[in-house]
This record gives sequence, structure tokens and C-alpha cells, in this order.
Amino acid sequence: MAGVLSLLIVFCLAWQWPAQAEDHITVFAASSLQTALDDAIKAFREHGGGTIVASYAGSSALAKQIEQGAPADIFISADTDWMDYLDGKGLIDSKSRRDFWSNDLVLIAPKGHLPAIDLKSGVDLSSALNGGLFAVANMQSVPAGRYARAALLALDAFSSVGNHFVEVENVRLALALVARGETPLGIVYKTDALAEPGVAIVATFPKDSYPRILYPGALVKRNGAGGSADAFSRNFLSFLQSPVVRSIFARRGFQVLD
Amino acid sequence: MPYVTPEEMVAIRLSLKVAFWAMMASMPFGVAVAFVLARYHFWGKTFLNVLVHLPLILPPVVTGYALLLLFGRHGPLGSVLADVFGVTIAFRWQGAAVAAAVMGFPLLVRATRLSIEAIDQRLESAAATLGARPSAVFATITLPLAMPGIMAGMILCFGKALGEFGATITFVSSIPGETRTLPAAIYTLLQTPGGDPAALRLIIVSVFISFAALLFSELLARRIMRRMVVA
Repeated sequence: MAGVLSLLIVFCLAWQWPAQAEDHITVFAASSLQTALDDAIKAFREHGGGTIVASYAGSSALAKQIEQGAPADIFISADTDWMDYLDGKGLIDSKSRRDFWSNDLVLIAPKGHLPAIDLKSGVDLSSALNGGLFAVANMQSVPAGRYARAALLALDAFSSVGNHFVEVENVRLALALVARGETPLGIVYKTDALAEPGVAIVATFPKDSYPRILYPGALVKRNGAGGSADAFSRNFLSFLQSPVVRSIFARRGFQVLD
Repeated sequence: MPYVTPEEMVAIRLSLKVAFWAMMASMPFGVAVAFVLARYHFWGKTFLNVLVHLPLILPPVVTGYALLLLFGRHGPLGSVLADVFGVTIAFRWQGAAVAAAVMGFPLLVRATRLSIEAIDQRLESAAATLGARPSAVFATITLPLAMPGIMAGMILCFGKALGEFGATITFVSSIPGETRTLPAAIYTLLQTPGGDPAALRLIIVSVFISFAALLFSELLARRIMRRMVVA
């Protein structure tokens, strides 16, 4: 019996524990940034900038985690509300805050099952749904869901979906539901649709049907942090404005802001 | 094992680290509680038993949120740990281990309690009449005889810790290299365009580890049965 125990211990200790690299910073970023920001992080490392660990989730979940003390150095939200939320609690460095990118809101369907829908006022989505579900991010809290709700309400199309919404915790989950053909329709950002070969864009929502999509980023204030980590984080924030990253995000379909 | 990328390896190692420490942290408390439950009758015993089993029945997100309230930056335990010892466990791998330990605790206690109850107490009485102190009886008679159950419980606890998702993601989020364990990594990959092959690799790894843990536990359970038949 002791043999089993020691075997287990040796087995576990033989694996080198994941090195707690001190020379990295953690970025909490909106799910929709995943593909492009991963590219930017790779470019940063290749330019000798150092290692960035990125954690992606709905901006709402990330903001709540930062409020609870999660070790984020940088927060990039998919709307201004959640950044304002943390700003209001004094948890971010307001001076470092700036809007980096903008995006569009699109209606998507699984590739090969593309209904013809014209997104104008009074559009009826129920026939395209045909009893299926409509994938959106959570419409109360997650930015992508809030934009989607605003757009559907503005077009007077919200009630045509009725109780067929399936609300998920971030936009990439809504994207995955449509890509797997589980739901015939969904609303995501244009850049999500471009990143997923399994979906196609049915139509783009008119810009005036929802609040402008903005991605603000800022340094998170952390107790005991500062010094080298702080310089590291500032370095990465300015790298996000470099021509290299601007072209990465432009290629992925984002509108890069000045 | 199929080829795994360095990022996936980080998740696998982190999961093993978290599960290992969850198991080790649970063990002393689990054995103590199992011994008390198996041997003593006291006021509030039912309550203790219910409390121990609560993480098994409660929705994991409730357990995770309770841990966050306790150990978060404003929590009663979290603020003391941070102010007095300078230790933070919320959103750290240590927190993942704590969440996994709490979730695996009932399994450890159940298995250990059964094997303690199966011990012939006359052996302990014999040792005592021969002059052994209670602590010596426990160390030389009770503990060795209960060992198969403790081992089986530890392995179940390890397995549970490896698969813990709900409480972990609520309490410590999913930060790569820090708190993104196997289940969290798989969940993330399922939302990543083109992530399915990587998810499948990690799923195979999970099946492999779970299978091995259960097999261990099964073999140990068989040993207990044989011992009971002999007794």
C-alpha cells in the first residue's frame, strides 16, 4: 500500500510543476478578441517583448473577477460599460485607458444553410428559425448580447424571436453553437464570423441600430504590483497601437481606432 | 498518448498538481473526520455527516461562490490570509486545489469511514490490554488496517479533483498556467474556432487519467474485501 502511495508521489513530483514564470503579465480580454489578440501576443513575444498570458471570457465575467481580486494586469472590454464599472470602483488606471478597436454586429447562420434575410425595420426572424433556437450572448450582462438586444429592439425584430433565445456566457459560445449547426441563427461580431469557417454572415446590422462597439483597454491597479510589471504592461499597451498590431487587427476585420 | 502541444501540457501538469495537493490537503482532515464518524456517537453527529457530504450534493457553483465569499479579497478568511500571511488563494492555483479538496472530501471520508468500520475492534482492545497507549493503537493497528480504504478514498478524491469544474471556475476563473485545469481548458477549446482537435486530445488524456485512477481504486477495494473475508 505504501508502494502505491510513494509511486503516486514520485509520479506527481517527477513532473516538473508548471514554472510560475515571474516574467509574464496577465491580460483579461473580451472573448471576441481571442483570435486577433493571440496573434498580437505572439508578435509581441517575437519582438522580444516577453510573455503575455491571456484569459478570455465575457467582459462581464472578467470585470467581476477583477473586482474580486483576480490577478489581471490589463483589462480589455468589449464595451465601455464594463470598463466604466471598474473605473468607477477605482480598480483601473484611468490615465492608461483608451479605445483600441471597433467592430460590427452581424447575423450568422451555419455555412450552407444561409437564409435570405434583409435586416430592416420589422424583419421577421421566426420563419428562418423554423422552430430552432437563436444564439446570443447573455443579453443582460455580456456586451455582445446587449448590442444584439439593442439591435433587435431597434429593428422591431425582438418579438419575432419570442422565447427562442438561447443566451450563453460569451460571444464565442454563441458562435460555436451556430458553427456546429445546433442553432440556425445567431448574433456575433463580424470578426467572430470571419474567424470561424463553419459559419457565414447572413446580414450586417445597420450601424444606427445599436450603440457603437468599442474595445477600451486599461491597466488594472493591483496591490503590491507596480515597478517592472507595470512597465511591462504599459509596454504591451503601447505595442497594441503599433503598426504591427494595427495590421493584425485590420486583417481580422476590426476597425482600428486612432 | 497522442501528441500534445506545450500549452496543453501546461493544463495537464497544472491539473495533476492541483489534484495532487487537493488530495494531500484533504487526507489528514478526511481521516480524522472518518474516524470520528466511524467510532464516536455524539450530539451533532448527523449534522457533521451532512456537512461533510454537502459538496457532493450542492450545485458546484454554490460551493465555488461560497469559497469566493470566504476567501475572496473582502472575505473573512481571505482578508485575514492576505493581511496576516500575505497569502492570496482566490484566482490562484492554490485556490483551485482548495476547491478541488472540498469537492473531493466527501469521497475520501466515505471510503475511509467504511474501512475503519470494517476493522475488528477486538484487535485494538488486545493491543490496549497489552499496554499500548491509544495513540500507539491508532498508529500500529487502526491506521494500517484502514489503509486500503484511505488509499481508495485518496484516489477517488484525486479523480474528483482532476475533474472539478463548476466550483473551480467560479472560485478561481480560468487563467492559463495558473487556474486553467483540464476541464476548463477543454471548455475553452470548445469555444475556440478550430479548437476541436486539441479538445479531443485533452479529452483522451482525461479519460486515460480517470481510467487509471478508478482502476487503482477498484484494485484496492478488492483487497479490502479479501481482508474482510479473512477476518
